[in-house]
Amino acid sequence: MHTDEAVHAMKFGALLEKNDYHYDPFEYHGPTLNYFTLIPAWISSAKNITQINEVTLRIVPVFFGLLLVLFLLLLKNGLSWPVVLWGGLFTAVSPAMVFYSRYYIQEMLLVAFSFAVIAAVYRYLKNNNFLWALAAGISVGLMYATKETCVIAFFSMTLAAILTGIVQEKRDRSVSHLFKNMNPRHVLAGAAAAVVVAILFYSSFFSNPRGILDSLLTFKNYVGRGTGHQAAHIYPWYYYFKILLFTRYPGRPLWSEAFIVLLALAGLLSAVLSRRKRTFDAGLHYFISFYTIIMILIYSAIPYKTPWSMLGFYHGLILLAAIGTVVIFNTIRRKVFRTAFILVLAMGSGNLLYQSVLSNYKYEADPSNPYVYAHTSMDVFKITKRVEEIASASKDGKNMIIEVICPGNDYWPLPWYLRAFPNVGWYSSVDFDSPVAPLYIASPVVEDTLLQKIYETPPPGERNLYVPLFDSYTELRPNVEIRGYVAKYLWDAYWHKQGNGQRETETEDRKIYY
Amino acid sequence: MSKRTMALAVVVFSLLWMAIAVPAQQAKKSSEKLVPLKIKLPKAMFIGTPMPMKLPKLEKPRGKPRPPFLVPEGTKNVALGKPVSSTDEEPVIGEIEMITDGDKEASDGSYVELGPFVQHITIDLQGEYNIYAIVIWHYHKQPRVYKDVIVQVADDPDFTKNVKILFNNDLDNTVGLGVGTDWHYVETAEGKLIDAKGVKARYVRCYSNGNTSNDLNHYIEVEVYGKPAK
Repeated sequence: MHTDEAVHAMKFGALLEKNDYHYDPFEYHGPTLNYFTLIPAWISSAKNITQINEVTLRIVPVFFGLLLVLFLLLLKNGLSWPVVLWGGLFTAVSPAMVFYSRYYIQEMLLVAFSFAVIAAVYRYLKNNNFLWALAAGISVGLMYATKETCVIAFFSMTLAAILTGIVQEKRDRSVSHLFKNMNPRHVLAGAAAAVVVAILFYSSFFSNPRGILDSLLTFKNYVGRGTGHQAAHIYPWYYYFKILLFTRYPGRPLWSEAFIVLLALAGLLSAVLSRRKRTFDAGLHYFISFYTIIMILIYSAIPYKTPWSMLGFYHGLILLAAIGTVVIFNTIRRKVFRTAFILVLAMGSGNLLYQSVLSNYKYEADPSNPYVYAHTSMDVFKITKRVEEIASASKDGKNMIIEVICPGNDYWPLPWYLRAFPNVGWYSSVDFDSPVAPLYIASPVVEDTLLQKIYETPPPGERNLYVPLFDSYTELRPNVEIRGYVAKYLWDAYWHKQGNGQRETETEDRKIYY
Repeated sequence: MSKRTMALAVVVFSLLWMAIAVPAQQAKKSSEKLVPLKIKLPKAMFIGTPMPMKLPKLEKPRGKPRPPFLVPEGTKNVALGKPVSSTDEEPVIGEIEMITDGDKEASDGSYVELGPFVQHITIDLQGEYNIYAIVIWHYHKQPRVYKDVIVQVADDPDFTKNVKILFNNDLDNTVGLGVGTDWHYVETAEGKLIDAKGVKARYVRCYSNGNTSNDLNHYIEVEVYGKPAK
């Protein structure tokens, strides 16, 4: 689990166990992720955080990743069946989409709700059915309750709609016809639905009314962050395209989604150049093109960048790639070239699928994977296993006292992996007031101070010898080392238990004093 | 009631009291002894997205202390207390003099923070020395990697005479002093040891270009191990 996933997981734990969720306007985004996770937790009859696992959590973004594919069906009349099918295929094999569909963060929910808004509004404009206005409103509310960056999508949608309206009005005056058919009551009902949904989530279902105000005040914080007033996660404008187009480390696979980006360029160009009658709705084609370009410009201009933030505009590129595919195919007249193009599509899609498999099953924590961003090292399983082994040899079992010390509270995601241990103290520096614990996990930075506590705090005759907890170099994240220290009497108990296969627990008289 | 009967009654009553009250008192005492010590353990504090240390040619931390380096007898830190200048004359935090004050702690008040992007500091050793090793501590309060670290020595403060580059991990020539071939490294409390191979020089200059956590440049201490040049 990535640090962000673990933080969300522990926050969800508080919601599950104590019905405690308060929106934090400074970090961790909106409440939909937490509340939607209650559904798989209830299905699995989980009552507390030790009864849930990664599947309980990650099934939520997986579900919304699947919905993103299925929502294409809502646009089958506007985009045509071939575009829907290619769009679904590209979404399903894109390494970025697949990788972040299993990440317990808000991004995939935001992308799915954004697309739901586009699809519902389009359906409403076509048939003026009240239910589509309501669906669009609910989706807007869900977007707002998911992540603060929804305002970028709202702005892009609005501007794209205006630009599309201008182009379409010049072409055939179809926009004024659309507006004439709209029912103001439906629009009001949609807006009311959006407000109600947002209030429900941000007020934690009326248990924290302050959350509603905080959901507005938060934008001051996020504007500061987005414009680079915070020093972390600042990257140049081309950062997202560097990730999408080419990543290669020695001895590692080449990662590239250039295939989709190139087809998207074709889809974009066809919006401008195509004079022929389209097999799909020209207005929708213009809208998706404008929306994607505006999103790309805004996200590239914002100095604060994390790789998953690109999913919003990348989904637009995928839709354009599907349109580009169909346009190219329809442009080709000779059968032999059509066959060759189909072969290219099969090879490109196959390569994307292969990359998806590699990025999710072989390089899911490898820094050479462009979607892996400060991800937790696989050593976290070694850490958890060793702590469990030591606890099994302790007379206190999982109730044993453990202290974890990392400056800046940079010990995540260990709170998730050690959630079954109720007596873990989490420190950012060595606490000389707490009693000496039998087991420590700490950053090498605090080693000298920790040894001072271990060997100088207890009175003479009660100073246990400590030995390293891990046999080899261990890291929390790539190049972020973590060390462990365990009292020798406890280590001996564990060692003897390993050696003879019988259960032994340490007792007072087995302690070795130095 | 006879005296005999009264004495018997007192004995019986006493025995009864002992049978009931003493075990109760003992039970009370033993229950007091069994109260477990309550330790208030701090909960985990939530944090934001960590920064990755994703750089090409990044050496893995050893996970154990660096072996001692050997130098000719009489070699000492000749930078201690010597004057330092910097491209950032008004540091955000701390003073330039901290770089040679002998304090290698990572705590606040022990480091100087220079502005963003490429910055350098220059130490005047106030005499020519044969330099055998340079040890640099940028900032070791958390693991991070400083970018485009270049260490060069020269005979004059403008670095025009007898300029030699001792370390360079500027792999894409951002600083403009040539493409480096050295590896990036993670900051630790033991500092980065650079082999100076006994080079003769008076001035030592260290470049950096931000780090993996932010764009700023930091120095805790720079030690220059040498002997007066013969």
